[in-house]
Amino acid sequence: MIRGGKSFVSSPPSFSNDAKKLLVCTGNTVSIFSTDTGLQVTELEGHTALVTSIIVEPAPTPASTILCYCWTSSLDGTIKYWDFSVSELMKTINIQLPIYSMVVPSFLAHKSENSEKLSDIYAYISVEDTKNEQNKQRNELSGKILKCNLSKSHLVPGVILSESKKPEKITISSTGKYIGIHEKRKIRIWEVPTKDLKNISPRKLKLSHTKNLSCIAFHPTDRILVAGDVTGRILIWRGFGDKTFAGSNLENEKLLKDEDEKPGVRGNGDADSCTTWHWHSSEVKVLSFSSEGVYLYSGGKEGVLVLWQLDTGKKVFLPRIGTPLLNFMSSPDPSLASVSCADNRIHILKMPRMEILKSISGIKLPSPVPEMFRGSCKDFVFDHTAGLVAVRTENYCIQFYSLFDDREISEVQVCERNHQPSDDVTMILNLVALSFEGSVMCTVETRMAEEGIGGFVTLKFWERGSQNNDFSLSTVIYEPHRDAGVSAVAFHPTRGMALSASYGGDFKVWVSNHEIQQNDRLIQRTRWACHAVGSYRKKPMTAAAFSNDGSVLAIAAETVITLWDPEKNVLVAVIGSTREPIENLSFIGDSNFLVSTSQGSNSQLSVWSMAKLSVSWSYKLHTEAIACSEKDSHFAVLVVLPESSKADVATSHSGAILLFNAGDPVPVASWFVAKAKGGGIAFIQRNRSLDDDMDENEGQVLLAYVNGEHEYAVFNPHGVEMQERKVRHTDSVSVTGPEVTGQIGYASIYGKLPEFKLEAGAESATLSERPWETIFSGPSHSLPPLTKLCSDFLESLLKKRTGTLI
Amino acid sequence: MAVNDRSESAVRTFPVKPKLKPTTKKSTLTPESKYWKSYKPKQTQTLVSSITSLAFSPTSPHDFAATHSATVTIFSSQTLEPKSTIAAFKDTATSACFRYDGQLLAAGSYSGQIQVFDPKKRSALRRLQGHHRPVHFVSFPRVDKLHLFSGGDDAVVKYWDVLSQTEIHNLIGHKDYVRCGDGSPASDDMFITGSYDHTVRVWDVRVSDRGSMLSVNHGAPVEDVIYLPSGGLIATAGGNSVKIWDVIGGGKMLHSMESHNKTITSLCVGKFGKDENDFTNQYRILSVSLDGYLKVFDYSTLKITSSIRFPNSLMSVAFSPDCSTRVIGSSNGILYAGKRKTKENMESDKPEWGKYAGFGAIDEPEKRVLRPSYFRYFHRGQSEKPSKGDYLIMRPKRVKLAEHDKLLKKFHHKEALLSALRAKNPENIVAVMEELVSRKKLLKCVSNLGVDELGLLLRFLQKYSTLPRYAGMLIVLAKKVVENRIDDINGSDELKGCIRNLNRLIKEELRIQQSLQEIQGMISPLLKLAGRR
Repeated sequence: MIRGGKSFVSSPPSFSNDAKKLLVCTGNTVSIFSTDTGLQVTELEGHTALVTSIIVEPAPTPASTILCYCWTSSLDGTIKYWDFSVSELMKTINIQLPIYSMVVPSFLAHKSENSEKLSDIYAYISVEDTKNEQNKQRNELSGKILKCNLSKSHLVPGVILSESKKPEKITISSTGKYIGIHEKRKIRIWEVPTKDLKNISPRKLKLSHTKNLSCIAFHPTDRILVAGDVTGRILIWRGFGDKTFAGSNLENEKLLKDEDEKPGVRGNGDADSCTTWHWHSSEVKVLSFSSEGVYLYSGGKEGVLVLWQLDTGKKVFLPRIGTPLLNFMSSPDPSLASVSCADNRIHILKMPRMEILKSISGIKLPSPVPEMFRGSCKDFVFDHTAGLVAVRTENYCIQFYSLFDDREISEVQVCERNHQPSDDVTMILNLVALSFEGSVMCTVETRMAEEGIGGFVTLKFWERGSQNNDFSLSTVIYEPHRDAGVSAVAFHPTRGMALSASYGGDFKVWVSNHEIQQNDRLIQRTRWACHAVGSYRKKPMTAAAFSNDGSVLAIAAETVITLWDPEKNVLVAVIGSTREPIENLSFIGDSNFLVSTSQGSNSQLSVWSMAKLSVSWSYKLHTEAIACSEKDSHFAVLVVLPESSKADVATSHSGAILLFNAGDPVPVASWFVAKAKGGGIAFIQRNRSLDDDMDENEGQVLLAYVNGEHEYAVFNPHGVEMQERKVRHTDSVSVTGPEVTGQIGYASIYGKLPEFKLEAGAESATLSERPWETIFSGPSHSLPPLTKLCSDFLESLLKKRTGTLI
Repeated sequence: MAVNDRSESAVRTFPVKPKLKPTTKKSTLTPESKYWKSYKPKQTQTLVSSITSLAFSPTSPHDFAATHSATVTIFSSQTLEPKSTIAAFKDTATSACFRYDGQLLAAGSYSGQIQVFDPKKRSALRRLQGHHRPVHFVSFPRVDKLHLFSGGDDAVVKYWDVLSQTEIHNLIGHKDYVRCGDGSPASDDMFITGSYDHTVRVWDVRVSDRGSMLSVNHGAPVEDVIYLPSGGLIATAGGNSVKIWDVIGGGKMLHSMESHNKTITSLCVGKFGKDENDFTNQYRILSVSLDGYLKVFDYSTLKITSSIRFPNSLMSVAFSPDCSTRVIGSSNGILYAGKRKTKENMESDKPEWGKYAGFGAIDEPEKRVLRPSYFRYFHRGQSEKPSKGDYLIMRPKRVKLAEHDKLLKKFHHKEALLSALRAKNPENIVAVMEELVSRKKLLKCVSNLGVDELGLLLRFLQKYSTLPRYAGMLIVLAKKVVENRIDDINGSDELKGCIRNLNRLIKEELRIQQSLQEIQGMISPLLKLAGRR
């Protein structure tokens, strides 16, 4: 069993201390990517539910950046401590409440007394109190912030910082002095006590705003708090907590002043002033200060990363990232940062210039579909032979994602249009279909009309080149069925023939004709042209399928199934009727059965016998997807379980996969699955690379299930063993191999700081080979003063010269 | 610190693109059809009446003679201008023919008289009297200076001694007008004639008493007949077919080519090759017909390799032996004479002072050392071609953005629409409108337009809204524009005029649609019946 397709952007990622690795929460595991190559290095497995936060333990001294320890928290109610260099679990703390967020202030505080004995490490965790909920349903305050002693692995009793309706994300200042949460229109801030005494509850304050807030960030040095709201405003509170947190000696003078002038501060918020910046047109999702606090990064739904100069409000942009931004993480290396995007992609940025170095992309997440296209949109299709899934994305692309390798293979831009993530959806990629061997793709896109003007449907055929893997556009057909939308596209299994059925009541058969141009050299290209048009009593055609040998074409005309000879375009037979319009049709392998599904109040799964032209058997089931095997007569259906029956099974299981033999209404096997709504299944052929250790059942097919959130599992439907198999990382060898060891800033001149030992008198500064090349690279704030650098720079040049002379 | 575009940012920019047009299935030119099309006909000459025959002189410079009405005009093949005119005919002249050395020119006439001229002198040297009816075929044998064949409407074929103006043989066998013939390229004594009695006969003057050696039946009145260069095959034209016969093998028909729609009037042999010395020269049959087509037939592969249409009925065709000139005569006297552009004659167009520049050694220009004072210095090495092992790194293509694209990028929607409207490219305008529709801004743009700008839009709508390609969108838009801006339109006379025009066009379109529907109503029962069969 192979699992994959996890979201990379559900929680913020984290950089390792040397900034060579990026730790990403991927579902129940933590994946570790190399920032140099953008490929996965290893994985931390152990949690049984979604991992919600990763905190890398900072290196106590600059030399020990190779230390790789991290804390992770998860919805399964545990906090785990890992050595991620060898991906080994060191410690587990069981809180027994799902943890939504965790911060550890003491990691961030600069402690000079580090040489003393290590004090206990305390973490603040945001949990959902599920026990409480079960006891008294009426109490809606289920979100709590608790304090946990990580060293002694227990909760600090009696410390509940706050209670809220649902668990909130905790934000921490980069010095670890303050932590805060935002809840609706309020911000709550606590000062973390320096001495971790049990009894003293931290001092706190509240700030409020008129709009719902979406994110907050603390200034690294000053008492400045910024918050973004849903309308795109960025609010800056300067000098928050002067009364609450500052020493009492100043309080009297301050009080007098603050009473009369606190520009912009609402209510009796404890802050000097509140100013507003408004550039974002919609919700601000990302706010982050640069490490020295001069700049502020912000981003939102527009997909533009904005760099603000805090004092002047001047802006620099990284435009057209293309999707909403979710997270911004700066790394210990000042020249690297990462941005998580809503399309399940993490960009690694080269920092002062804000330039995208590498992208780590996962499977594209489902994109929103307007109500009117709910029925006619297919989110993804499978390439049965290559084990790929083609996912349609919001920016009019088709992403090809390998199920076996769990990574993106390629992306095809179907529609050449600039995507604005914040706009309404006015254009949509409805359908994708792949031919049997995966060399031809057909896409349907719809432009929506503005008050009846200018909407149209486009059908496009794409051909895969013989050597390269990229699809190239072969034929464009505008308005293939006049105004009507396309309901289904099916490919002939052997020939270059395709079919498009429309809600307008007709279907068209398209054939490809090769033409060879002899213009100095052979250029072969294919055009698709309409071969035949058919209709049945002007009824909307809702589904279509070719039989396995391509001799029969089944098209559902609402509630009846019409059978056609695709070559001669002759109606052969009409069978049956269902209660609701048929949504999905498929021939079952080499048996003479046809399976159809219909949805609605009388949803139905029916198997039709082609020999008798009548119903063989049927169930009243809400079927989301069908998969038919090519060879034998098995087929699988993905069923969404009705609400009433959910009480019986575990709450997380919303659906089931049933495996049938065509002639027999009793299922052969069944599995419960989660998030079945919008999911899909398919039989796919076993990948060649997986065959070597499983060759005893060669030629068998695997069943792939992709759920509504595009997570997937691939398993053998006939096998008894359901052991989870590791996804092979074929390129993990090359990833872990040569790691680039460039040095930056200070380290490039003086070398790495040696471990300070008392007897170490001799300077062991190892100069890098050519320090003058990298001496000035890096942001200015991380470099020593220029006067200091200059002499060193010259000196480094001089040294080299004398060396060669002697 | 402004918004700057970075090529490395994640998303590419796409300019607004118009919908693709359906490409016609354009057959790309084969090298052969390119060759035949390269004879660009210069239609300068309009002669008096139908050009009955065309003949090239076998010797360089390959002048050619055209017979039309009662004259023979000799044209220079270099300039394609008439050189001299011979008008010593009493009736329509026919069948001009050069002797193999180009010294003599013979031509028949409707009066039955055959005249032999010196092409340079234009006075008749000999007059051969004997035919009683119009003579349509006169020909010199291959390398015989003394004799002449002729055939006339009296169905008699005559073999003449030119010097003494006497007829040596009267060859009898045809039962109808003899209209064409050709001398064998293999023998001086053999020739063929074609007649309206559907037969083509092969004659040998050495055995003249026994009548024709061979006769083949074409199946239609024979309009032209030629020997193919090998001498073993002949091609006959009659009706709308060209047939190829093997005369050595006893008159077996090898192939029949029927691609003309009307009577084929003339045939000739053409050569396909880059130049004369090209050994890949291959012979083709050129046929012209009353349907105005010139077809080139490759008789080795039995395929038509090229087909060129002319606006008139064609009567005669000739192809110069050096492949440089092709002449076609039409029935209304227009002469389509075309010369092929070759490198040679392009070079000859250039002034040739290099020849006269000096007899002494001409200094080869020394390769000068490049210095920064030369402009070329800054371009050195830029045209270097990559060698085989080199890894090519392509420069990323710059996306060309039109003005409206730039404005759309800045979300200046109305300005973008106006910029497209001013550029007056209907495809781009519609593409910009579609983009605005998908941003749901088109109607807002329309309502924001000023009166002048509205005029611009209305004029565009008036011009293009009934075009089928754009009608689907523009008619609805026109309706919305009129609905939304009715007050502004009422206030301006100019806009009212636009609306009037629009109204007229729409009415016209409605009429067209109605008549189309009527036609459809007539056709659809027929189609139903045809489909039932």
